[in-house]
Amino acid sequence: MRKLSVSLVLGVLILMLLLAPVGAQSGAVRLALTRDEGWLNPYTYQTGYPGWNIMTLVYDTLYYPDLNNEPIPWLVRTTRVSTDGRTWTLTLRPNLRWHDGRPLTSADVKFTFEYAARVAHSRWTPTTRNLESVEAPDPQTVVFRLKQADAGFRLRTLADVPILPAHIWESVTTVAAARAFRNTVGSGPYRVEEVQDGQFYRLAANPQYFAGPVKVRELVLPIIRDATVSFTALQAGQIDANSRVLTPELVAQFEKTQGITVMRGPGFASTILQFNVEHPLLKDARLRRAIASTINTNLMVRLLMLGYATVGSPGYLHPASPFYAAGLKFEGTKARAVAILNEAGYTDRNGDGIREAPDGAPLQFTLLTLAGNPVRIRGAELIRTWLKDVGIAVNVRVAEDAAIIDQVWPEFDVCRGRRFDMAVFGWSAPVMSRPTALVDLFHSDCRIGAINIGGYKNPALDRLGEQLVTTVDPTRQKQIAAQMQKIVAQDLPIHVLFYPETIMAFRSSTYDRWAFQKGQGYVTKLSFVDPPK
Amino acid sequence: MIWRFFAGKGVQYALVLLFAATANFALPRMMPGSPLVFLAGEDVGFMTEAQRTQLYQAFGLDQPIYRQYAIYLANLAQGNLGHSFQQGRPVAEIILARLGWTVLLVGGALLLATVIGIAWGTLAAWRRGRPFDIGSLAGAMLLESTPSFWLAMIFIAVLAAGARWFPVFGAMTPGAGLRGTAHILDVAWHLVLPMATLTLITVPTLFLIMRASLLSVLGEQFITSARAKGLTERGVMFRHAMRNALLPVATVFMLNLGYIVSGATVIETVFSYPGIGRLLFEAVLARDYPVLQGAFFIVTVSVIMANIAADLIYPLLDPRVRHAR
Repeated sequence: MRKLSVSLVLGVLILMLLLAPVGAQSGAVRLALTRDEGWLNPYTYQTGYPGWNIMTLVYDTLYYPDLNNEPIPWLVRTTRVSTDGRTWTLTLRPNLRWHDGRPLTSADVKFTFEYAARVAHSRWTPTTRNLESVEAPDPQTVVFRLKQADAGFRLRTLADVPILPAHIWESVTTVAAARAFRNTVGSGPYRVEEVQDGQFYRLAANPQYFAGPVKVRELVLPIIRDATVSFTALQAGQIDANSRVLTPELVAQFEKTQGITVMRGPGFASTILQFNVEHPLLKDARLRRAIASTINTNLMVRLLMLGYATVGSPGYLHPASPFYAAGLKFEGTKARAVAILNEAGYTDRNGDGIREAPDGAPLQFTLLTLAGNPVRIRGAELIRTWLKDVGIAVNVRVAEDAAIIDQVWPEFDVCRGRRFDMAVFGWSAPVMSRPTALVDLFHSDCRIGAINIGGYKNPALDRLGEQLVTTVDPTRQKQIAAQMQKIVAQDLPIHVLFYPETIMAFRSSTYDRWAFQKGQGYVTKLSFVDPPK
Repeated sequence: MIWRFFAGKGVQYALVLLFAATANFALPRMMPGSPLVFLAGEDVGFMTEAQRTQLYQAFGLDQPIYRQYAIYLANLAQGNLGHSFQQGRPVAEIILARLGWTVLLVGGALLLATVIGIAWGTLAAWRRGRPFDIGSLAGAMLLESTPSFWLAMIFIAVLAAGARWFPVFGAMTPGAGLRGTAHILDVAWHLVLPMATLTLITVPTLFLIMRASLLSVLGEQFITSARAKGLTERGVMFRHAMRNALLPVATVFMLNLGYIVSGATVIETVFSYPGIGRLLFEAVLARDYPVLQGAFFIVTVSVIMANIAADLIYPLLDPRVRHAR
């Protein structure tokens, strides 16, 4: 027995000696992911973030969002847009190659969009709806003909849809086959070298990358399920970077830790109070305004986010967004809320401490939120306390994500209606950077306002939205967006509580050339390769 | 005799299997929520009705529920567990990739916990009422009531992040590409903390059973007669008492054996260990019906196998069962 334990200790010691240098000398950067991302190709990656970002290390798009979320030419050298905004003629850069050495041509681009139209994918397929045709008159030239001009064409289509190698994907014809397809031949700065199910991915730099030298030779992407563990691993030096944003409680500690750098900036993800605007009581904008007025968002930011967040703007868009309507602010106080309620006839007639509507219905609501997000649960509790103070009863209900979404956004299809009163909800960063965000969020037609989960309706806003989606001129886009935000701020179909800051940490001793994309973070292709010249 | 045994039990096990397969089919579908976002991706809100239909068709979700059930049973009879909604891959392949890790972790911990539990329980029973026994009981109670995720977090904070003796996460060093002995040592090194956590929370049960069982055996008349024959205390303990006291422990061990393949969800998640428990957890969140069906089916089969094994082995351990037949 003694012999066994001695050899066990020896074994462990030898092993530690063997392993220590392996991590240090590999020259690899280890960036933790939150979950499995399939085979990392366009039909198998899973999450919008960081999955899409990692997938675009392997595949290229025609444009790519720069650090200000402005699309810049990537595979494309020149772009010509017709005056009506409906014909886009793109010239590809010369000498583009797939990882297998075959040339990447306009035929691949044409194939990709036709493939996306045929084989359903939630992100690629909708971009093809406005395409009349894609032509490839010669190997370098692609001509897109749009059904109508599209404000988001550059960012949401050209800078979003990864180009597939036609010679590989043409034999994969069904959705099921595409979702099980393991090929990862792309054109991007990295090749997928190893996929360990549930454990990690290993990517190697593409030595022939057209945009110049790739800055990190090898990228190891371990999957760490637990957020706390992922930051412990960063602190212990077992990973070098983390795709998760740092929780507020950890910021001070990480800023003091030697060898770790913390990057901070505005965050484009949102935390909102979502109203069901079709609810018999909540359809009254005065009531929504009163509810919003009781919520002290400044205090919320201090309590829940330790100050690492920006107070919400009532027009949805973040003050750092290029489309933000300057000067838009929500001012509310408890006194104001009480005044609005009294004036609108919401008073407590039966003396039970809860106000009633003029028709006698008590102001009693259920507030839903996701179990996976402790900050939102605490936010919901604060809202409940504040509303109780003004005579509105709220019952907070927390459940696992899919169960909540089933009520707020059944089948992820706004056309199927909704079964909730209020919810503490939120949207991810990419929603904010789209020029058409306000249309997606607030248009009353459920096929256009695809994430208008509250069922909000305002004909004036609809008209502006229809104008916005076909407006290509950025100055005009901003004017329309500003008008839309003012309407939203007036009607308050949602109350934006705050935007958590994007705070990310990395080990600077291993790699410190991370590029910080505004509102989103450092998991971007630009962290590993400079834009092509 | 074996054949008679199987003929009798066979029908019974087939019924259990059918019932379990039906529950595995029905329960995941009774949960609120849709797998659509995992079938299609996060921007599923932007898809048209026709595109959604195309997806539902591709995964057979457009069929009426009874047809889905019939297809599922027919596939199951042919050993086909279907394809994962989330990963697109065959479920059998996914489960197989995870099974080895789970058997290593949970099986290893069960063996270790059994050995420790027997030894500890014996020592405590031997010193009944003395400080060691009382201390052990208190210790076992404390361990028994310790949440596994908390223990895991403490281990990670102190031994992995603090002292840096062990890795914080995973089953092997990611991307190290180790081979041969170095790989085995690497896997062993990553196994230490999750296995220690799991062992520590499993030991108390086995300890308590062993101690209680041994104490009751020590009160039997044959022990008194062994003592009367003048056997040493050590001889009475090991030759007479322990052999008999082991029977309940063996039962618990056998029952647990069947659950090895179900993994240890909490510990596998905290340590990012690629086992079946984590797979199940992720499949529940994703409403990945085929993976849930497949994994639970494997668990059912394995529990039934463990029961069969227990039925067959028990007579060898306990002569009374043998004679009763």
